[in-house]
Amino acid sequence: MSVQNILECNGLRKAFGDLVAVGGVGFHISEGETYGLLGPNGAGKTTTISMIAGLLERDRGEVFVDGMPMTTRSVRAKKAIGYVPQELAVYPDLTARENLRFFARLYGMQATDVKRRAEEVLEIIGLGDRAGSRVKEYSGGMKRRLNIGIGLLHRPRLLILDEPTVGVDPQSRNAILESVEELAGAGMAVLYTTHYMEEAERLCDRVGIIDLGQLMAEGTRRELVSLVGERDRVALAASGNLEAAARAMASLESVHEACPGGESIHLLVDQARNLLPRILEEAAKAGASVNGVEVTEPNLEAVFLHLTGKALRD
Amino acid sequence: MKSLTIAGNNLRRTFRQPSNIFFVFIFPMLLILLLGVSFGGEFKPRVGVYADDPGPMGEELVSSLAGSGNLEITRIQEPESVRSSVERGTLQGGVLLPDGYSGILRSGGQARVEYLLRPDQLGQQVRTSVESTFSRQAVILRAARFSSGETGISFDEARTQAAAVALALPEIEVEVRTAGETLYPEDRGRFGQGASSQLLLFVFLTSLTGSVALIETRRLGLSRRMLSTPTPARTLVSGEMLGRLGVALIQGTFIMAGSWLVFGVSWGNPAGAAALLVLFSLTAAGAGMLLGSVFSTEQQAIAVGLLLGLGLAALGGSMVPLEAFSDTMRKVAHITPHAWALDGFTALVRRGEGVDAIITELAVLGAYAAVLLSLATWRLRRAITG
Ligand SMILES: Nc1ncnc2c1ncn2[C@@H]1O[C@H](COP(=O)(O)OP(=O)(O)OP(=O)(O)O)[C@@H](O)[C@H]1O
Ligand SMILES: [Mg+2]
Repeated sequence: MSVQNILECNGLRKAFGDLVAVGGVGFHISEGETYGLLGPNGAGKTTTISMIAGLLERDRGEVFVDGMPMTTRSVRAKKAIGYVPQELAVYPDLTARENLRFFARLYGMQATDVKRRAEEVLEIIGLGDRAGSRVKEYSGGMKRRLNIGIGLLHRPRLLILDEPTVGVDPQSRNAILESVEELAGAGMAVLYTTHYMEEAERLCDRVGIIDLGQLMAEGTRRELVSLVGERDRVALAASGNLEAAARAMASLESVHEACPGGESIHLLVDQARNLLPRILEEAAKAGASVNGVEVTEPNLEAVFLHLTGKALRD
Repeated sequence: MKSLTIAGNNLRRTFRQPSNIFFVFIFPMLLILLLGVSFGGEFKPRVGVYADDPGPMGEELVSSLAGSGNLEITRIQEPESVRSSVERGTLQGGVLLPDGYSGILRSGGQARVEYLLRPDQLGQQVRTSVESTFSRQAVILRAARFSSGETGISFDEARTQAAAVALALPEIEVEVRTAGETLYPEDRGRFGQGASSQLLLFVFLTSLTGSVALIETRRLGLSRRMLSTPTPARTLVSGEMLGRLGVALIQGTFIMAGSWLVFGVSWGNPAGAAALLVLFSLTAAGAGMLLGSVFSTEQQAIAVGLLLGLGLAALGGSMVPLEAFSDTMRKVAHITPHAWALDGFTALVRRGEGVDAIITELAVLGAYAAVLLSLATWRLRRAITG
């Protein structure tokens, strides 16, 4: 293999009493890759991540981080991971700087590195000017950023983010997504859990869809979408001879369906983006004029619906 | 090293809170001051006196017992209830004068006084006071009998004269007291009783209520986060333990040093006092950690912490002195570490003994510490690693 796997896990299983929270999950993440675990509340995302980060004893399965086996007692493997929990795990009565320095020491940094790196991270998360204030005085978004910053202190090979944008205003959320993109761009492997389809689509090279403790499907966005055979929907707002135009369009290869309506034509096609010029051409030839186009590509939401028979968010 | 980082973080968070500064440092000192001022330091032993028709000499004796200032005198109607109260420990001493005490003495006969004591520290104090009062009267009576025999004046007259002479010689009493076993050096004792009790009460209470910080650490997911760093669970646990211990030791040392410097409280043999403080602090740290790992909400922990902290202190003699307990209650009191530590301080401070005299107390405290810390470690580890 040319690209080394930063994370490899197989057959992870964890039950709490009778409840099997995770039942046989496995996947891998290679260097520089961003992998998304997409699933609704209670799907088993946090439980999976906890086993990967060595925070929870697993019933079965194995985890290797950067080639090193991970258990709750693995000190070496934990060095390679930056874990950002779902909850705001920061000391409210300490300042951001004190929080960072404390965790930097726990990551085993030398005293001089501790101070320097804390300041660097403060800049990265944009809290430089508020570094001396106690965290309880911060806004929700600032706390979230600090929560993430702590996971970056030791420049981990694998960054694990557990729903880092929950309860965050749109602006901070965008800032968080941007910094994740930046980190991934700089070569860090990222494991990102979310129940927001848009986040998974935007950030992740590959996505695993998880529900009821099972990995239902896995792949790039395209792969997942094609897996369920969902097609793009095109809605044309048009006038003129719509019947003729629809018939002409339906004869095109890759157009599976074309239904004329009162002032519109609805099409079901493969690869709408590539096909759009030809569709417009047919419309013109058939004597219809198009005033508006709306393309709906199938998304992970639809995939999830297809796989599980339920919506990602209730 | 990392456990010190965690412990230091605990200390920083604890002492950053103004309310903690108040309760850890200021409040205990205020209480020591308050108790010292209002009770004059020593706890006054209660002595029951039975005296039926004792005559003037008997009344004189009773009022001089009361006037000695060291005893709280209660007149009791039944001789039997004096005996049983002393036995039960509700009275620290009892004096039973024979009926017609004055008449017997005046006629030159021997008055048999029954005089009951408890075999403990306060019993010794009672003995000193009672004996000095009796010997004072005996001196006067002997002098009166002598002078009435020599000069032919009436016995009562001679007695009044002798008493007047004795009054002019107050050092007789002082001599007896200093030669006897006064419990405290006079000026040191004023705050002494309060100081060791308050020390124990507050060190334990602070540790129990400090469990709130540990619960917060767990609830906020900080323990999990710490476990995600390359830090073994045992380091996390020992860090939390050292943090709790640090708070207890800082508070204990502050109360000891502060009460010594400000109020002149004596803590006896330094090595013994330090050993008691360290072992009691370990016990308190273990109890606090156990509370912090058993409960999952701060409200529960603070309620149980206050209840246990105050309850154990009361039961263990940190509110009312153990000497005032009945025998049974005193036995029960020794299920608390407070009672053992208080016994230790009593030996060091009142009897002026050294470490060798409090080996038992140290061993019991050590056992408490070992048990509580092991339990707490086990529970906390489980709570952290789920
Ligand atoms: N410590 C635990 N004890 C008992 N059950 C648990 C425990 N932790 C998780 N579970 C259960 O396991 C299942 C998976 O939980 P998990 O937290 O992994 O879900 P999740 O995908 O992270 O959900 P969310 O999006 O809400 O964070 C849930 O049904 C949850 O109730
Ligand atoms: Mg979760």
